[in-house]
Amino acid sequence: MHSDSSDGEGRASTPRSDFIASMVWIVFGVVVAIASWNMDRLKSQDINPYTIPGLVPGLLGAGVVIFGLLMMYRAWRQGALTPQGDAGRRMAQPGEWQRFLLVLAPCLIFGGGLLGHGLPFWAAAALFVTATVFILQYRERKAAGQLLRGFVVAAVIGLAAGGLITYVFQELFLVRLP
Amino acid sequence: MLHGLEMLGSAYLDFLNFTSIMYGLGGAFLGILVGCMPGLSATLCIALLTTLTLKLPANDAILILICSYVGTLYGGSRSAILLNIPGTAANAASCADGHALALRGEAGRAIGIATSGAFCGTLFGVLCLAAFTPTLAEVALKFGAYEFFWLALFGVTMSGSIVGDDPLKGWLMGALGLLCAQIGQEGLYAYDRFTFGWDQLSGGISLIPALIGAFGFAEVLTILSDPVEKKLVEMKDSTLPRFKEVFQYWRTVLRSGVIGVLTGLLPGVGEDAGAWMSYAGARATSKEKEKFGKGSIDGLMAAETGDMSSIPGHIIPCLALGIPGSAPSAVLMAAMIIHGIQPGPMMMIAHPQFVYHVVAMTTLATFSILLFGLFLVRPLLYVLRIRRTFLMPVIFLLASVGAYASASRLFDVYAMLVIGVGAYFLRKKGYQMAPFVLGLVLGTLLDKSLRRGLVLSDGSIAPFFTRPICAVLAFVTIFTMLMYIPLVNRAVKGAMGRLKGLVFRRKPA
Repeated sequence: MHSDSSDGEGRASTPRSDFIASMVWIVFGVVVAIASWNMDRLKSQDINPYTIPGLVPGLLGAGVVIFGLLMMYRAWRQGALTPQGDAGRRMAQPGEWQRFLLVLAPCLIFGGGLLGHGLPFWAAAALFVTATVFILQYRERKAAGQLLRGFVVAAVIGLAAGGLITYVFQELFLVRLP
Repeated sequence: MLHGLEMLGSAYLDFLNFTSIMYGLGGAFLGILVGCMPGLSATLCIALLTTLTLKLPANDAILILICSYVGTLYGGSRSAILLNIPGTAANAASCADGHALALRGEAGRAIGIATSGAFCGTLFGVLCLAAFTPTLAEVALKFGAYEFFWLALFGVTMSGSIVGDDPLKGWLMGALGLLCAQIGQEGLYAYDRFTFGWDQLSGGISLIPALIGAFGFAEVLTILSDPVEKKLVEMKDSTLPRFKEVFQYWRTVLRSGVIGVLTGLLPGVGEDAGAWMSYAGARATSKEKEKFGKGSIDGLMAAETGDMSSIPGHIIPCLALGIPGSAPSAVLMAAMIIHGIQPGPMMMIAHPQFVYHVVAMTTLATFSILLFGLFLVRPLLYVLRIRRTFLMPVIFLLASVGAYASASRLFDVYAMLVIGVGAYFLRKKGYQMAPFVLGLVLGTLLDKSLRRGLVLSDGSIAPFFTRPICAVLAFVTIFTMLMYIPLVNRAVKGAMGRLKGLVFRRKPA
């Protein structure tokens, strides 16, 4: 069956990474189960005891613990604790993490800071697209000696995207923008 | 019967006007564009268009969404054939044979086969949609809390088992989705669960921002962190659909249509299952098995017919039971609710005409993709040449607007960001998003059904296992999970082996 995880070269997970993940799942499940057990049972409202709010979350927490234990057992059987437990792990491609952080940072700044905090949407959008396109193409443009051209292209795309999205959503389809 | 046909005819007439046809063509056009771009899924496309069409009348909005749904899956075959990257997960089965044909200089022929397979598959699915939705809705009227509890659990379990390579990870994601659905005010007493005193969390995690995060933002991060851009195969031959090949491979088309609709009926399984199972079916029955994966027409036709016929298949349980068959149909269901139409068993009573409207909308979508397949293949391929460093920031911008617009809450944008980053890391470790999404959709139903059922039975769990439909669903769900325990698996396989041996020994006598 097709997996939509981007595996690249090597395995997405190894017995050891599954073993570590299983511990996280078990802790998470236990925390959820305890929180559900301690949840108000609304006795003051004299509700039916089979309808307490913590019932389903508690059962789900227990389910997560069981699945986590199964995953831990499987990883252990596959040799998670042996020296070969991490063999075949997919290695990040050169520059993958750097690019990830370069993409993540402007997205978080835009979504968490710029959006809805006073700046008009079109301006925030233009700023975000210009900065992101410029950052992502910086190395390539610098190597080609086209930094200024790269910035102009990024700015044109940014302004066009900001203006067009604002017009289509706000004016044409009457959708409220942040 | 006659009344149903009359309503179907009236539904078709309702959409035979300039505005509806333009909306349909526009939706399909946008869908094909999004589908062409690797990584951008039907879920993201429908979620973004849901926010864009918020102010339109319900029928027009749902028409655009259905046409974009069909268009996205159809468009996904282009990048599978020309780039060897599936445009959507559902087109992965088309990669091997489609790209092999393209490398042989038959890219146009491969696209033509994909178009004819997609058209026939969707049309077959539409017939099933019209025939089975009212019947299933009638049966579902007899369902109570016990049946709905098992349906919800069955959906999440099946989704976890079938999507991806590791059922255990699928079930964990399903449980995580169900747990996320418990956040906020619960449905019986309006008690705040897991809100930690934060008012914004009382409303719970909305489906559309969560889907945009899981399928949109996570995909933007994945695509942009990968520095490799793939090369497009040039297309020189004719791209016209090959209906001659449809007649030649009519058995494949029919078989794949049936498999696609049947997999579509299973909650949460997704369109890719329809494509892969149809592909496997075609391979098993083909006389030219060795050609599969090396440019087999049979294989490409099966994969495209299977994934497209599963679209109407997914819409059937969505309309009749209120349980979506896939992530895109979950967004479609959310859009219907936003527009005041509650899918589920009561739909045939509250909005009987709407079911037939959906049939008409899907038919319009089918003819729209045929039209684009006939006349606009080459111009639409220019989208594949746009550099992703230009495109992805704009997609993120649209994702932010999409997350915000459905409820005008900045909190939804933050939720989208958190879910997107989480989904990025989880996908890297082989966890699938489809069971999570289904869990998020079905969590409320599961919670309410279990508690209501327990009240009705005064705390007894017997009705959850003794009612006929419950017994079947409970058996399949529990058996699927138990089979994962090595001890049980070995015991069952041993018993099956002994049973086979007994039958085999008795046969000659």
